[in-house]
Amino acid sequence: MKRPIKAIIGAVIAGAALVSPGWAQDKGTIYYMVPTLLDEFQTESVSAIESFLGQVGYKTVTLNADNKTDIQQSQMNDAILLDPDAIVIAPVDFNALTPSIERARAAGVPVMIFDRQITSTMIDFTSVAGTVEIGHVAAGEIQRLLSERNGAVRGKVLQVLGDPGDPYTLDIQAGFEERMAEYGDVTIISLPAMQWEASNAGSIVSDQMLANPDIDLIFVHAAHLAVAAVAALEAAGKKPGDVMLVSSNGAPVGLDLIRQGWEQVEVEQPLYAQAAAIAMFADKVVNKQPIEPGTYEVLGLQSEVTIEAWGPNIKIPGAAITRDNIDEPRFWGNLTAPKDPITPVE
Amino acid sequence: MTPRRRALIEFILDNLVWLMLIVVLIVFSLTVPRFFQFGIFANIFEQSTFVGVMAIGLAIVIISGNLDLSVESTAALSAMVTGLLFATQGIGMGITLGADWLLIPVSLAIALLVGTAIGLINGFLVIRVGMSAFIVTLASFIWVRGLVVAISGGRSAQSLPPAIRVIGIETVLGIPLLAWISVGCFVVFSVLMARTPFGRYVILVGGNPNATFRAGINNDRILWAGFAIAGCLAGLAGWLLAIRTSGATANLGTGMLFNAFAAVVIGGVSLKGGIGRLPGVYAGVLLLYSIHTAINLMGLPAHFTQMILGGLVLAAVLLDTLKLRLRERLL
Repeated sequence: MKRPIKAIIGAVIAGAALVSPGWAQDKGTIYYMVPTLLDEFQTESVSAIESFLGQVGYKTVTLNADNKTDIQQSQMNDAILLDPDAIVIAPVDFNALTPSIERARAAGVPVMIFDRQITSTMIDFTSVAGTVEIGHVAAGEIQRLLSERNGAVRGKVLQVLGDPGDPYTLDIQAGFEERMAEYGDVTIISLPAMQWEASNAGSIVSDQMLANPDIDLIFVHAAHLAVAAVAALEAAGKKPGDVMLVSSNGAPVGLDLIRQGWEQVEVEQPLYAQAAAIAMFADKVVNKQPIEPGTYEVLGLQSEVTIEAWGPNIKIPGAAITRDNIDEPRFWGNLTAPKDPITPVE
Repeated sequence: MTPRRRALIEFILDNLVWLMLIVVLIVFSLTVPRFFQFGIFANIFEQSTFVGVMAIGLAIVIISGNLDLSVESTAALSAMVTGLLFATQGIGMGITLGADWLLIPVSLAIALLVGTAIGLINGFLVIRVGMSAFIVTLASFIWVRGLVVAISGGRSAQSLPPAIRVIGIETVLGIPLLAWISVGCFVVFSVLMARTPFGRYVILVGGNPNATFRAGINNDRILWAGFAIAGCLAGLAGWLLAIRTSGATANLGTGMLFNAFAAVVIGGVSLKGGIGRLPGVYAGVLLLYSIHTAINLMGLPAHFTQMILGGLVLAAVLLDTLKLRLRERLL
């Protein structure tokens, strides 16, 4: 009972720390369009964005699109009519939202992008870890793990994607395969878990462990899929470490799997820092002030703002979580909300 | 036509889906590399467990002339309740009982109760209030999934204790215990439907409720039982799903309703009610998961699964129509 109690206490403390403070929410209202609430990353992003924007003086209204592009488009159209100070959007579909974003900006409502990059139109501010870059980090770690096990970067990797209709997973795949392309001795088998559903991932792992029993490593694109992969490995009689496991997004369950020895690396998306950057630059965006390129410290992470063809873009480095650094509070999977107050960029 | 020939034709028509399954398995064994091995067949049995158990309840409701679109969400709810109470990581409360062996019966009872409760709510609104089963269960499909998100806060519960996980790990005669459970369910409910008055009443009520009413059969009681069984079995499917994935996520089971419906239709159950046999439904489930597995092994893009499944459902309905015409003409 000790672990669950500790986990609950941790979650309660993190939740309490993320509760929006009552002070200073007088600068206006910002709408946050979250793509879904069926995903721990997105659920935690709501708490983080509402809390951080609250700290810099904005009230946040969150709308959930249930992973449906048409619903998110409608929500955008409705929000524009309510004349908010800004809209923060994590788009369901990276390109389908472009007309709605252009409509919002034409109506004078600035738009900020959170987590999922749109490059096909002008955006007032973008805060991303970079999904392609997550693939790059994963590739680097997988090269290291294969090398440690096989003496060189060679072997067989099963890549379990999320839903094949979701550009998020396709970007990670593109980044990963781009960096693995030069290693001809690595065979990559890629299969999608439809609708990001865990038992689909489990079935893929069960089948592939029979068809390709020499798989060295499984790379899954979300931690909740890793749990089902582990269950399938366990059912196949495997022990922790028999088949290496790498996952992405940094959810609490992924960190638990590292602690249990089943998973070697979790590539985290720096959720708290991404959300904090939105709050840090909110005043600039709302007041339509220019954003200067350069290096900014976001919750202790050195992050680079560049002015891209689609507007100011801050890229926050993702990190590889291993047994060595797993307990660091900066990882959102530990559900330890940052204690330092968010300070708007002057 | 001789009685022997007539019996043969009738047998073939009644078991067409099993023939399809055998043909598909032979074709895959010959054409898909590494498909033909005991482990893959065991995997197909195991993977078909959840949709299979769900499809039994769905088929019974459909045969009784109604519809239950809520089974997927009901399974997700019972999975989440199981995860929430007994998982030790994530949002799991990690409840322990005096003895480890109690975990299985207690968690199972809770999951079945959750499922049955949803089934009875559906039954109340359809039978007592007189609302359309389509609308009521569609609403349940939505609100029950919403409840899953609400009680979990979108987070997941992971790591069920080994005393429960044993169901998802152990094998009997090389076949996973999970698969035996679904086979057991199909045997029990097939006997119930084919060999008991209840089963016959379900078919009769679905075929012509006015006739059964006039014959003194309590139609409502049969319909209540149908919804309760569908909910209860969805609860069981959710419990098994939680064990297989060692916990629950808010989107667990998404998409299974379509697979359960496809299996029911491919298995020869008429959506108009009154016609259908559960062994055919099991063959339909096995057929679907054989295709899923073959696609996994071939490494085809997943979209192919959906296209093939859609085509298969269409073919099954077409075949059903042809069967009826053939039966009228020949028998």
